[in-house]
Amino acid sequence: MTSTNGATLSAPSATKHVLGVLVENHHGVLSRIAGLFAARGFNIDSLTVSATEDSSMSRMTVTLCGDTAVIDQIRKQLDKLAEVVTVEDLTEQGAHIERELVLVKIAYPREKRTDLLEIAATFKARSVDMTPETIAFEISGNQEKIDNFLTMITQDARIVEIARSGVVALVRGPGGLRKSFYED
Amino acid sequence: MAIAEESIITLEEERRGGPHPLAGKEMMGAEMVIQVLADQGVDMIFGYSGGAILPTYDAIFRYNAEHAEKEIRLVVPANEQGAGFMAAGYSRSTGRPGVFLVTSGPGATNCVTPIRDCAADSIPAILICGQVPRAAMGTDAFQEAPVYSIMQSCAKHTFLVLDPEELEATIRTAFRIATTGRPGPVVIDIPKDVQNWMGKFRGEGYLNLRGYEKRLAKLRARRVEEESMADFFRMLEQSSRPLIYAGGGVINGEAATELREFAETLGIPGVTTLMGIGALDTTGDLSMHMLGMHGTAFANYAVEDCDFLIAVGARFDDRVAGKVAEFAPNARNIAHLDIDAAEIGKVKNVTWSYVGDTGRCLDDMVRHAKRTGFKKDFSAWRKHCAELRAAHPLNWDRDSPNIQPYYVIEELNRITKGEAIVATGVGQHQMWAAQYFDFKRPRTWLTSGSMGTMGFGLPAAIGAKMANPDKIVIAVDGDGSIRMNLGELETATTYGAGVKVLLLNNQGDGMVRQWQRLMFDERFSGTDKTMHKKDFVKAAQADGYEFAERLNIDEIDKVPKMLKRFVEHDGPAFLEVMIDPAALVMPMVGPGKSYREMIVGEWIVPREQGAPAAQMDGKTKADLF
Repeated sequence: MTSTNGATLSAPSATKHVLGVLVENHHGVLSRIAGLFAARGFNIDSLTVSATEDSSMSRMTVTLCGDTAVIDQIRKQLDKLAEVVTVEDLTEQGAHIERELVLVKIAYPREKRTDLLEIAATFKARSVDMTPETIAFEISGNQEKIDNFLTMITQDARIVEIARSGVVALVRGPGGLRKSFYED
Repeated sequence: MAIAEESIITLEEERRGGPHPLAGKEMMGAEMVIQVLADQGVDMIFGYSGGAILPTYDAIFRYNAEHAEKEIRLVVPANEQGAGFMAAGYSRSTGRPGVFLVTSGPGATNCVTPIRDCAADSIPAILICGQVPRAAMGTDAFQEAPVYSIMQSCAKHTFLVLDPEELEATIRTAFRIATTGRPGPVVIDIPKDVQNWMGKFRGEGYLNLRGYEKRLAKLRARRVEEESMADFFRMLEQSSRPLIYAGGGVINGEAATELREFAETLGIPGVTTLMGIGALDTTGDLSMHMLGMHGTAFANYAVEDCDFLIAVGARFDDRVAGKVAEFAPNARNIAHLDIDAAEIGKVKNVTWSYVGDTGRCLDDMVRHAKRTGFKKDFSAWRKHCAELRAAHPLNWDRDSPNIQPYYVIEELNRITKGEAIVATGVGQHQMWAAQYFDFKRPRTWLTSGSMGTMGFGLPAAIGAKMANPDKIVIAVDGDGSIRMNLGELETATTYGAGVKVLLLNNQGDGMVRQWQRLMFDERFSGTDKTMHKKDFVKAAQADGYEFAERLNIDEIDKVPKMLKRFVEHDGPAFLEVMIDPAALVMPMVGPGKSYREMIVGEWIVPREQGAPAAQMDGKTKADLF
């Protein structure tokens, strides 16, 4: 998408944003939102959806890169959907907690096993499965930590497969999407 | 989805002062659908029956048998797409949402085009589709199509009714979504077994769309803040050449009265977009007519010259803004009033904005000006605009031995005087109609602006005529566009809808030919129809037109009299005029070009000598559309 000043998603001014979206818990909402991103050519890095403390709502977390104008346009387009309860750019709001869960299975040379387990301990990754040739780790954290962990373990091992949950995020402190929707 | 809590949605129209007279009655789902439509004031449904929608068609029949005094009229087209455009014509000409009702599978998919067309032009409409029974969904059943996912990408909103308890609330909510905020079409997909379900009618209730409702309540409550108002008037004070740029939002938002009051009180001239035609009275002194790719030269010059652009219900579309960075290059300030926050700054940065009801904003501005005694003399600018109008009017080869399309419309306009409802297809004839007709009122110009759907004109005119039986309704069409929905010629005579169908026949797709001439070295690939055999007059006669005439290309002298007979004929009338196939739509701002690069053709006087010739630079054509 091209915005006001010709900036695009790949522009150097692009920064990472995390959007928190509460939607009516109704079938088809996920495809509506995914469809909006596809139709308007917005590229997203990850999209997660899950139930919430209020059974009538689901929560989506969308991470994407773009300059301020593009992100603002995406937020406004989401805000137009009838089933969207509220959208907030958690990055703009300041402090937020951000986590991703990753399961990664590596194939390793036997002599490196201790080193790998040490690396895992440093990053607080847990080994959840082990065979003579492979180890599966579980790690959660922000993307930077996960990227660093993956860099370290691939020095001596090869990834057999990896599954990432996508980012989930909450506002820090007493606030929250649902609270600010009802109190604002 | 839960039924809405009263505390969140306070719906004034629900306060009827007592329960619905039918509340508590056992009804079929299909009967509830029709009852809610009737409650919403629907007096006409355009549609085509079929297997999966049979129960609802049956319910209409039974409803009408019981309500002879207040029937819901059923209008059956040749093709579901026709029903969609009839509903759009009904909606565009009245402001009330048009309703169309079709069966599953092909019935529904034939409606994709009108749904997208309505969404793109922000037209409120309701489409109800039958769907295969819930148990058969997902099995590739006969006449099954994934309507929910198809329409989701095209409509303002889409419902699939899986819980029959939510059926009546869904229909009501659909009307609410279609007609509030930025209007648009809503699709409701109803499985056949949900139509056949028996349950208790409540007569009230909406679905819980709390985010939408909250945003709407905020939008409705929003006024221009004092400080912001002061900023606006400071910009106006600093301006000596302010110009209104009004779009379809003024029409859809019923803000034309307020806009005219604003323009007259402050003495500010205005241009309109294709969709905004009728927002200002085109015969009035302050109207500079249409801007953009095929806007008048004087409108585009005014845009070049203005120092303060006031955009109202307009969205800087590519057909208007051309080269965005060079659009309104002398405007030190741009103000933007719109109901949709996403349009502010989407294309062009603005210095002042208001998101909300544009009519109320303009009204507040007029009050503010009167209260504060704001006075600024823009008479020199108005004089400049008047001079532009006088010096660079639309024009054509008036000595040509061949009938020119401009002449036909100019003569027709002499008869209708800006009072007729005009619907068009898409292409050259559409632009000529926009340029050469006058429009004194909003909702009299019906055209597929954003989507540019050929075939829109004839069915839209039929829908408009059925909604406005006392008005003259003219369908101006081209030979390409009319072919797209030619089956609807018969629909007009079937229902006695007295539309006047004017076919400007240039034996081809004229607008595409124009681009091929200007940008593709006259290789008329796929657009020449000189070998086509259709005799349109015979076709009209076959469809029951008592008035079906043709004027040949050299019968210029007969044009005025023939047009008079055509308009005055009592009932549907068809007139084919063979026009000069070489006629061009001028002026033209090429795609992605700035207004400075506007070409005016041979017959319009340009402002600067040495303006670019009628050939466009072939090197820049690649991706421009």
